[in-house]
Amino acid sequence: MSWLRDVLERLVGASGAERAVISLAALALSILVGGVIVFLSGLGAACETGANYHLAIPLPGSFEILLFDGRLSMFGYKSCYDPINVYEKLFVGAIGGLPWESGWQPTNFSMEVFLQRATLLLFTGLSVAVAFRAGLFNIGTQGQMIWGALVSAVTVLFVADFAPAGLAGTAILLPLALFSGAVAGGIWGAIPGALKAYADANEVITTIMLNFVAIYGTTLLVSEFFQDPQSAGGTQTRMVPANSLIPSIPFGFQGTRFSILALVLALVLALVVYFVLWGTSFGFDVRTSGLQPEAATYAGVNAERTIVRSMTISGALGGIAGALWVLLANGRFLTGGEVPSLGFDGITVSVLAGNNPLGVIFGSVLFGVLKSGGNALNFQTDVPPELVSILSGLIILFVAMPEFFRLIGRSMGVGDKSGAAVATDGGEDDG
Amino acid sequence: MDRDEARRLATRATLVVIAAVSLFGIAFPNSTAGEVFYTAIGQSTIESSLRLAVPIALTAIGGLYAEKSGVINIGLEGLLIISAFAAVLVADVLGGAGSTGFPPIITFNLGGSTYTIDPGLQLLLPNVWLGIAGGVLASMLLAFLFAVICIRYEGDQIIAGLAVWLVALGLAPFASKVMYGQPSTPQVVRLGDWTIPVLSDIPFVGPILFDANPMVYIMLVSVPVAWYVLNRTSFGYWVRASGENPKALDTVGVNVNRVRYAAVLISGFFAGIGGSALSLGSGGFFNGAGQTMVDGRGFIAIAAYLFGNYNPFGAFAASYLFSGLQALQIRLQGIAPTEVFLMLPYIVVVVVLVLVGRTRLPEAAGEHYESGED
Repeated sequence: MSWLRDVLERLVGASGAERAVISLAALALSILVGGVIVFLSGLGAACETGANYHLAIPLPGSFEILLFDGRLSMFGYKSCYDPINVYEKLFVGAIGGLPWESGWQPTNFSMEVFLQRATLLLFTGLSVAVAFRAGLFNIGTQGQMIWGALVSAVTVLFVADFAPAGLAGTAILLPLALFSGAVAGGIWGAIPGALKAYADANEVITTIMLNFVAIYGTTLLVSEFFQDPQSAGGTQTRMVPANSLIPSIPFGFQGTRFSILALVLALVLALVVYFVLWGTSFGFDVRTSGLQPEAATYAGVNAERTIVRSMTISGALGGIAGALWVLLANGRFLTGGEVPSLGFDGITVSVLAGNNPLGVIFGSVLFGVLKSGGNALNFQTDVPPELVSILSGLIILFVAMPEFFRLIGRSMGVGDKSGAAVATDGGEDDG
Repeated sequence: MDRDEARRLATRATLVVIAAVSLFGIAFPNSTAGEVFYTAIGQSTIESSLRLAVPIALTAIGGLYAEKSGVINIGLEGLLIISAFAAVLVADVLGGAGSTGFPPIITFNLGGSTYTIDPGLQLLLPNVWLGIAGGVLASMLLAFLFAVICIRYEGDQIIAGLAVWLVALGLAPFASKVMYGQPSTPQVVRLGDWTIPVLSDIPFVGPILFDANPMVYIMLVSVPVAWYVLNRTSFGYWVRASGENPKALDTVGVNVNRVRYAAVLISGFFAGIGGSALSLGSGGFFNGAGQTMVDGRGFIAIAAYLFGNYNPFGAFAASYLFSGLQALQIRLQGIAPTEVFLMLPYIVVVVVLVLVGRTRLPEAAGEHYESGED
């Protein structure tokens, strides 16, 4: 085991890598605690016979290595849920089965949902990460998404009447949709930024409050002005024309729910954000004011302007996520739905990624899996898919306590370098 | 402009606006302002404003204790959610409208013959109150977890608070689905109003103050008690010192972290009563759809104690302002679309924060304190 300790020691030594280790440990611990919650809640749920715990390592073909087969009970109570089975459904169900199973195709429905969610979460995660880097806690990504979604849907519906049909229309409508979403989200993000910069209003609370305002405000606007006359119930706009949707190239998924093009766009944007933060003087200003506001001001950084700008960029990213939510998920703006959870999960993705734009890619893939797996959980087990929200909260909870993992690490004899704790002052310093 | 000045200005501006609307309303009873004014001073509006103020005001009082001690508790929203659900769950598991005897009568079987331990004198506790106790306990447990992360493991308070909120936001609907098959529970049992004889016969004031939900009484008692404890006892002095100058407190020989644990637990205690009041106190059920029935009240409570300048009386007044808006909204739905009124409290909170800002945030709020001795 000494080589393992060496490897760990080297990993823990580097501050950025320490964050990765802490994130992974937090992930593992939250999955463990989530499993305990599933088991315990299974004791309270009603079922005829307890869950059959079938613990096995699946192999290609129908082979497997059997570890345990039977029922577990506690004080005579049988648990109705099997955490192992739940996690198997969650992670394997997210991509529609194991790739070596017969009949599995890379373009199946679950895969589509997974990639679509990952794409949207990449934007919301980036949105939170940019603000976080500037020392700002943007909990308002959700509201910025909602405004971005509404404005981009309405803009496209308005312009579509004048736009040419077919692919030529796509060339106009698609960029327009993304741009209008970014502008709307950017404005909604700039508001708490300006309030923070010029009135010292706590952005954590203003962004949360503005989320509620966004929810009710968009509902009001849609029901008063943009309501789809044909819809029976539900407050929603008309469908945007098919040629404004992102074309499903280079290879087709069955539904219209996902396009590789959107994912590529998201990945490119992650790289751009990374470059802006670490390769430009503006990014340097953002990061220094996040880490050391006083020092940054002393060095000539205009603190107020940096705050407003970072919040605007953060909001614009959220707004693009909203536009994509219209274009990928629904084809229209509708109130309610899963926007709130996408906004909150953006926070978890970013915190888990140490607010690093490149780390956000991995975080969003993980949460794309959890979101898509939540569907599988809903259809294939009795366990409520809200488990995913609990996991997301637990991850943040554990990431918030790096000291805990350092203590464990120290008791295991692994390096004792205390790196930066995850904090609201711009996160880790990977200097 | 200095912060305290801004606050005074904000308070005065609020009072001036309220006075202007009232005067206009008295002068022209048929105008919109008149309708708003006469609805606002109506007996039933004041009654429901007080009831709606309970969760916000109690949570605000708890939150100001935590923040005064140097721990910013952003997780109040989560504490409200978890206690609102736990209260319903405990009351339902013990059995709706019944009561539980304490100490319990224990019956056990030994070799064919049955033995019974009967304490003789049993205290009958209504299950609805045990439910409230359960809600308070759940909230305090979560608050303790939050305190351990922030104080013992030196976690970032904002992130840990956010985590408390997100965990509760997932856990309550999850548990509700496990128990009831849906994110919201059915109606279980609700607290009835308490009528104080004689006093409740006083016109106008009587029905408002002496024929009310017991939670309203708890709130009306908590406000002055919280003020007294914070400003006139040594514990209150410790709490304030722990937020302003932990080093001085440590030098005097008081354990700073212990004071902070106590303050966070107090915030859990009050949020627990607030959450139980939200579920068992009015509807008798827990609504877990969307943002759950708590719907941002925890954050409004934070704004309330900021606006109230960390003074329990001020926090109560600010809470009443928000709940009054809410009560008016229910009664004046014809005037404008519902969403306008639903948005209003949140817009008011943002405006309040802009005018009041971070104000006199305790010196050491958000910072860890490590005693030099250990």
